[in-house]
Amino acid sequence: MRILAYFKVTPDYEALRESEWSAAAGRVPSSGGGEGTSRGPSADGGAGPGRGEHAGPADGVDTRYVRRILDCFDESALEIALRLSDALVGRGRAAGLGALSIGAPGAEPHLKTLLALGFERAARVHTEAALDFAPAATAALIAAYAGRIDRSDLLVLGARSSPGGGGTVPFRVAEQLGWPCLTQVTEVEPLADGRLRVTLMGDDGLQRLTARTPCVLAVGNAVVSHLRVPTLTDRLAVRDRQPDVLEPADLGVDLADVLRREGPSLAALEGIDRHREGVLIAGDTPRAKAQALFDARLKSLLEEL
Amino acid sequence: MPLSREAIVEGLQRIVEPGDVVTDEQILVESSVDNFRKLQNIFNVHTMPVPAAVVMARSTEKVVELLRFADEHGVNVIPRTGATATEGGLESAVADSVIIDGSAMNEIVSIDAYNMQATCQCGVPLQVLEDRVRELGLTTGHSPQSKPVAHMGGLVATRSIGQFSTLYGGIEDMVVGLEAVFPGGQVTRIKNVPRRAAGPDIRHVVIGNEGALCFITEVTVKLFPYFPENNTFLGWTLKDMATGFAVLRDVMVNGYKPSVARVYDPGDAGLHFSHFAAEDDCVLLFMAEGAAGIAKATAEGIQAIVDKHPECTQVPSEYIETWFNDLCWDASKITAEDERIRQTRNVNRTTEISADWSSINDIYQAARARIIAEIPDITMMGGHSSHSYINGTNMYFNYFFNVVDVGPEEETSKYYLPIIGIICEETLKRGGSIVHHHGMGKARAPWVKDEYGSSYYVLETLKHAFDPNGIMNKGTIIPL
Repeated sequence: MRILAYFKVTPDYEALRESEWSAAAGRVPSSGGGEGTSRGPSADGGAGPGRGEHAGPADGVDTRYVRRILDCFDESALEIALRLSDALVGRGRAAGLGALSIGAPGAEPHLKTLLALGFERAARVHTEAALDFAPAATAALIAAYAGRIDRSDLLVLGARSSPGGGGTVPFRVAEQLGWPCLTQVTEVEPLADGRLRVTLMGDDGLQRLTARTPCVLAVGNAVVSHLRVPTLTDRLAVRDRQPDVLEPADLGVDLADVLRREGPSLAALEGIDRHREGVLIAGDTPRAKAQALFDARLKSLLEEL
Repeated sequence: MPLSREAIVEGLQRIVEPGDVVTDEQILVESSVDNFRKLQNIFNVHTMPVPAAVVMARSTEKVVELLRFADEHGVNVIPRTGATATEGGLESAVADSVIIDGSAMNEIVSIDAYNMQATCQCGVPLQVLEDRVRELGLTTGHSPQSKPVAHMGGLVATRSIGQFSTLYGGIEDMVVGLEAVFPGGQVTRIKNVPRRAAGPDIRHVVIGNEGALCFITEVTVKLFPYFPENNTFLGWTLKDMATGFAVLRDVMVNGYKPSVARVYDPGDAGLHFSHFAAEDDCVLLFMAEGAAGIAKATAEGIQAIVDKHPECTQVPSEYIETWFNDLCWDASKITAEDERIRQTRNVNRTTEISADWSSINDIYQAARARIIAEIPDITMMGGHSSHSYINGTNMYFNYFFNVVDVGPEEETSKYYLPIIGIICEETLKRGGSIVHHHGMGKARAPWVKDEYGSSYYVLETLKHAFDPNGIMNKGTIIPL
C-alpha cells in the first residue's frame, strides 16, 4: 500500500502576543481572493532568514517572528500513517510511506525528521508564500502530487488546519482524485484482505467502518496527537538525503490561475477573547469557602435538577 | 522505637486541624516524587516509599510544633511549598515521611516601596508577588521559568535563579532577611538590613538548605524599579559555542549588565529558533533593561562588542522579543508536556553546571560527546549558557531521549542518572560546580563530597549541628 501523508507547517499562534492581535485589528488584509502567490508578507519589516514564508502585516497578523510548528491535526495524521505502516510491515506487507508539504523551505526540517522516522519519500511543493486561506490551491497541489507524481493508494491528512480551519481541503482533494473521503478519523488498522478498519468520531459516537483504498482519510480529534521523535542515530542515517522539491508547474498546476479562482476571500482576522469572568470566594476556612460556593452557585443548580 | 504510620498521623492531627493532615492515597503516592521522577506520576507507576501524610502548615507556630514532634519521634520531614522541584529534593527517600506543606502560608506581609523590599510568607507564589509589586511600578527581578508555579519558600530553599540574573542576581542576592524554623522548634529571624559585617553571613545557612536543615517560613526580598518600556532585544546567529562563550565573557568583563545574556548550541537553538537559525547555527541573544540611559548604554555596548566578531550575523530583534514573551512554563504547558511524554515516551531533561571561562567550553564539548556516544536513544543533546559572571558562566544541558524497552519507573536508572553522572564527572574534572541553580536534591547528592572537597567538613558540621537527629529531608544534599 502506497501511503501519502500531507502536513502543513504553521506559525505557532499560541506564541503570538496579544498586542499583535490588537495591532492587526487596524490592518486591512491584502489580496485574500488571490493575486498569484502574493498572499505572503509585505516587503517591510525584518530581514531575517525566516522572512517570506508566512503572513506579515499586510495579511492582518504579523507571524514572521514566531516559530513554526506542525499543524496539530496534521501531526496526528503523520503519526497515524506511521502506525498504519508499522502494522502493515508487522504483518509482512509492504507499506511505502511518503510525506508531502507545501510552502517555503520552513517545512524542510520537518521533512528530514520524517525521513529519519522511516518515511521513504519526502517532498515539498515550493510556493513563495504559505497558502493560508487558499483551500482550492492547496487541494489542487495535493491532488496533483498524490495522483500524478506519487501515485498513492491512500492519503492521510488533518481534517483542517490553521489559521483558517475551513476543513474543505480533504473533500476537495478527494473530489479531484475521485476517491471517497472519510472524515473525523481517529484510528486506522489494516485488515487481512487489504482493506482498512477506520474509526471515526461521529456526532453520535464512534463509528468503525471498513474501507477500500484508494481513499482520503481526514484525521480529526484523534487520541494520537503527537508525532514520535527520531534518535540522533536515526537522523545520522539519513543525513545526506534531501527532500524532493517541486514547483507547482511540475505538477501541471497553474497556481496563479487557481488562486485567482479561489472562492471567499479573507476580510479580517481578530484574536479570540480568552478572558474569563471570575469571582473570588471569600471565607476564613476551606469549609466556609465551600459553603459559600454551595450557597451562591451550586444549591440553585441542584434544585433545578 | 519508630512510630507507626497511624501514630504519626494521630500525632499530626493533635497539632493541626484534622483536615490539614492529608492521607488520601493518590495524593500520597504522587507526593512521593517530584519532577526528578516525573514519569512515575505521568504513568502512575510509583516505586518510592509512600509518605505517611502531607500536613498543611498554616503558621510559623504550627511549623514549630510539627518539627518538634518530628524531632522527638525521629520522623523524616520533607519541607515543600510550590512542589516544583526537579532534582528529587521532595522525594520521600524513607518510609513514613511527613511532607510539611507551606503553600497555605501565602500572605504578602508587607511591600515597602520606600525601602525597596517585600516580605512574604513561604507559600506566596512568585507570580502573585511579582504581579502585586508591578502595580507599584516595581519588580522582584526574579523570573525563573517556574515563576507561574513556584513559591517563595522553595525558591529560597533551592538557591533559585531567574532569567534576568545577570542584572538582578540570583535569589541569594535578593534575600535580605528571613525567618526559618529548625528541628526541635527553634525559630530564627534574620533581620532585614542592606549589609552586615557582624561575623559570617548566616543567611547562607538557610538559603539553599533544600529542607535539609530547616523550614523557611518567611522571606524578605529586594525590589527594583520596573522599566519594561526600555527593554531592548539583540540577537545573532553564529557557528560555534566557543565564540559565543567568548562574546559573553567580553560583555561581562567590560562591565555590562544585560538582564538576559545567552548562547544556545545548535541542538537547543533548534527547539526555539528554527524559524530563523539554520540547523548548525548557535544563537546568541541579549536583553538590556533598566532606566532609559542604562538600557541604551548596555545595548550599545553589547552591539559594539559583538560587532568585533564578524562571524556573528545579527537577526531582527523581534525574533528575540517574541521568543522572550513566551518563555515561562505555566500549568497548561506542563500538562501539555506530560501528555506529549505519555504518547511519545520522549522525555526532556536538563542538568545545569557552572565553571570558569577557561573550562566551560571543554565541559560542554566533552559531556555532550560522551552522552551521545554512551547513552542510547538520545533524540537531542544540546544546551545553552544563560547566567554569566565576571569569572565564568553556567551551562544548561538540555536533552531528550526515547524511553525504550524499559518501564517508566526505570527511566532514571537507564538514562537520566547515567547522563547526570557524565555531566558531573566532566564538570568536576575541570573544577566546575555540578549544580548551578536547581539544587542538589537527591539526584546529585552522590557527588557531594567531590563537589565540596575539603570544605565538605563545613557542610557536614552544619548538618550535624542543626539537625542532630537527622530528621530533615533525608538523602537530600547529603546522600543516605
